[in-house]
Amino acid sequence: MNAKQITSRRNFMDKAFGAGVFGLNKALFPSWMPRLAFRDNTAPGDVLIVVFLRGGMDGLNAVVPFGEGAYYYDRRPTLAVPEPGKGENAAIDLNGFFGLNPLLRPLKEIYDAGALTVVHATGSIDPSRSHFEAMEYMEKGTPGDKSRLSGWLNRHLISAAWQNNSPFRAVGLGASVQGSLRGDYDAMSLQSIADHHLNGRWDQIAHMKRAIASLYQIDQPVNPLEATAAGVYKTVDLLASMTEAEYKPENGVEYSDHEFSKALNQIAQLIKAEVGLEVACVDLDGWDTHENQEGQFAYNLGELGRGLSAFYTDMGADRMKNVTVVTMSEFGRRVEENASRGTDHGHGNCMFIMGGGATGSVYADWRGLAPDALDEGDVAITTDYRDVLSEILTKRVLNPAVDQVFPDYSATIHDILKAR
Amino acid sequence: MDRRQFFKTTTASLFALGAVSQADRVLADQIAERLQTDWANPVRHAESVDPALHVLNRITWGARSEDRAKIAEMGIESYIDWQLNADAIPDPTVEQVLADYPVLNDPFAEVALQAEEDYGAVYTAKQWDRIARAVYSERQLYEVLVEFWTDHFNVPIGDLLTQKFIEDRDLIRPNALGSFRELLLASASSPAMMRYLNQASSDKEFPNENYAREVMELHTLGVTGGYTEADVKALARILTGWTVNEYANRMKFDSDMHDSDEKVLLGRTFPAGRGVEEGLEALDLLASHPATARYISSKLCRKFIQDQPPASIVDSTAQVFTDTEGSIRAVVKHILMSAEFAASEGMKFRRPFEFYVAVLRALRPALKWTFNENMLWVTELLGQMPYRWEPPNGYPDVAGAWISASLLLIRWNFALTFPVANEGWYGDEVRIDWSKLSDGRPMSTLRHILDRAAELIVPGKLTEAHYAAIQDAIAYDGLGFDDPIPEDQFEARLTMVIGLLFASPGFQWK
Repeated sequence: MNAKQITSRRNFMDKAFGAGVFGLNKALFPSWMPRLAFRDNTAPGDVLIVVFLRGGMDGLNAVVPFGEGAYYYDRRPTLAVPEPGKGENAAIDLNGFFGLNPLLRPLKEIYDAGALTVVHATGSIDPSRSHFEAMEYMEKGTPGDKSRLSGWLNRHLISAAWQNNSPFRAVGLGASVQGSLRGDYDAMSLQSIADHHLNGRWDQIAHMKRAIASLYQIDQPVNPLEATAAGVYKTVDLLASMTEAEYKPENGVEYSDHEFSKALNQIAQLIKAEVGLEVACVDLDGWDTHENQEGQFAYNLGELGRGLSAFYTDMGADRMKNVTVVTMSEFGRRVEENASRGTDHGHGNCMFIMGGGATGSVYADWRGLAPDALDEGDVAITTDYRDVLSEILTKRVLNPAVDQVFPDYSATIHDILKAR
Repeated sequence: MDRRQFFKTTTASLFALGAVSQADRVLADQIAERLQTDWANPVRHAESVDPALHVLNRITWGARSEDRAKIAEMGIESYIDWQLNADAIPDPTVEQVLADYPVLNDPFAEVALQAEEDYGAVYTAKQWDRIARAVYSERQLYEVLVEFWTDHFNVPIGDLLTQKFIEDRDLIRPNALGSFRELLLASASSPAMMRYLNQASSDKEFPNENYAREVMELHTLGVTGGYTEADVKALARILTGWTVNEYANRMKFDSDMHDSDEKVLLGRTFPAGRGVEEGLEALDLLASHPATARYISSKLCRKFIQDQPPASIVDSTAQVFTDTEGSIRAVVKHILMSAEFAASEGMKFRRPFEFYVAVLRALRPALKWTFNENMLWVTELLGQMPYRWEPPNGYPDVAGAWISASLLLIRWNFALTFPVANEGWYGDEVRIDWSKLSDGRPMSTLRHILDRAAELIVPGKLTEAHYAAIQDAIAYDGLGFDDPIPEDQFEARLTMVIGLLFASPGFQWK
């Protein structure tokens, strides 16, 4: 029994915050149009969705190097995923050496369709094993250097050669914007499309809306609170029109109730509504499995697989040709399991890339798991994650200015993906 | 200027932004060293600052007229001293409102049993305990500090409901106004903390570094405090054997798990052959380290003064911390009596939980309610349900972490809809008796209502422009500002005024 089972929070939300109860005057909002084009939206490339797996995902058990034999199995007596063919919890073979954790089974279909690529032994090269630090370095795109105040995605938005003044150009799903999106460019945070409106008595709402606009000087904001208020107003009106019609995912998909799946659902809606979305960030927390890894890790992997595959199916293979989803985590976990049937903070990890440029393969400059190949007991990083992101930006998103996105770094393109 | 232009002038503040999720554990104080600026425009609405009101705004959860009368009677310094001597302040109202939750006083075994049977009831009781004390306690400053230390030594509830329940009552609260060293020790030996950060399962064969790292990074020295990865490993080894007796919910030291070899921690050699005492010595070393004095002082200055406190006050506070060997009372008093504090009116943004409590305190005389699930879940929607921050660094304490489009919209919505509770939107258990707020003065026109409500809710914080904006809105449908309000419209107009004041910028800054 956990906290979420105490009461149905959604019941309350429907009662107090649902549009129906308050009798919002629908005449105040334009009826929903399937496409709201912004004249200056000229982004030429893929929509980029960045999924951050927070806590340090155990890449070795997500995409299993079963081909390593004893080097993997001896070090993980209770946690290792069995080789393909060895029972119902066995890894799903991907290329004869690596296998997919069976909890990610929904992704196998996408892999076979050629729309999923795995990169292994990758990550942020800074040796920090502190969540706080490692996330900061990874999201800033400057491992080892904290001096920058912007995230890599924000620098991408600023360095891109095209214009797009939609307030939905960059969206961080959640209560506030992820570190990679922070910076001079003003990205939007969004929790849910349906809840994004002002509430109150139906006969007062228009007046209250006017009053708050005036109280916060949204035409001339002079501090961050007022500037945020102005942003709220811009988006409320637009999203109101989207919620008028109830969204139904396509191709028979049902998104799960988990925050991660719901966030991907929001993104699918925003993409289909063509509101000018270019970049979205989503988080999936809870990967820090120091103890009794099996339960928590299984839960998380299940959600990851379900969420990504629901999104893929809802979007459809055609739309997904113009979308790139990439996952990353601040570090991997140690090869050797610990005394608590868990794993401690490690280094090298895997990344998933789903969508247009993927090739249905596993890319890794794999050194193996023999003791002398490891980085102090951890998987070494042989492909810098900035190389992977640079390739996505140049070949898929079509922003070649990666030297600005990842300053003081010279990216190598490893031809992991197909170009647009 | 638009938001983008605004941030160009204060780009420095950007990575001071924390985030309300495990998403971003960037601790603003790590950045504080490198930042020079705070918000470019501190939101100061009052023409002149009432120093007594400013103190109340910072050390209470919302200044009521009783509080203003009390501080006027006692004088500022005596009032602060009175609040710092929290044990001596009787708290009958709290006892009353918690009377229906006897589990709050039960021993561990009993609480655990009840949680087995009905997790939700125990969870709700603990949440109500936190909310009720913030709203109703006379020991307001003490409750502010309990929240501060709860964030500082963060342990999320969840799988550790019962342990955290007990930890809050028996370990954090008794030490919240005492010595930092005692508080650190209480946290280090807390079953909740030891389970949360995996200390309880750390042994000499596989030392678990999680707690060792966080106790230095987050609880004492700070991430720039000068410890190395080798120190983390050494401390992890020193603390092996610190584990938990689950049945009694107490710390126990298991010498079989303990690594008694020699270690070097922060340059000090810990000779071989010792047991629990070397862990105690290590914690002592951390508590009395100059980096700790600095780090704790900077966090307290952030809490009470402003997000990026001037170096001068952080320095002098660190000195007081060192001189008094970490006396929380002395340190807090020093901060509150400082010139830097006096100059900081309007510069702290109300976090979601304190916003929620401030709404309830402002309406307190009129509130006729029993705590229900709706009132519980509002705190989650607003973004700051107690005990629900997952990573060890605790809810962030900088404006940037809480100013986002989503959270602002939800805050406005609570502000506008809670006053209309009599319509049943927050459940049948929540009603507001508006007659209890009139205090004998006439309330027959919109002007009366706005003046009285502004005095109650945003004293000294409503500019002429704000007043005009609200005045304009509430006089809808041709009702004049000085016309008598028709009986059947009274409550609707009143709730609109109150809602707009709760939503106004002045209510968000303190």
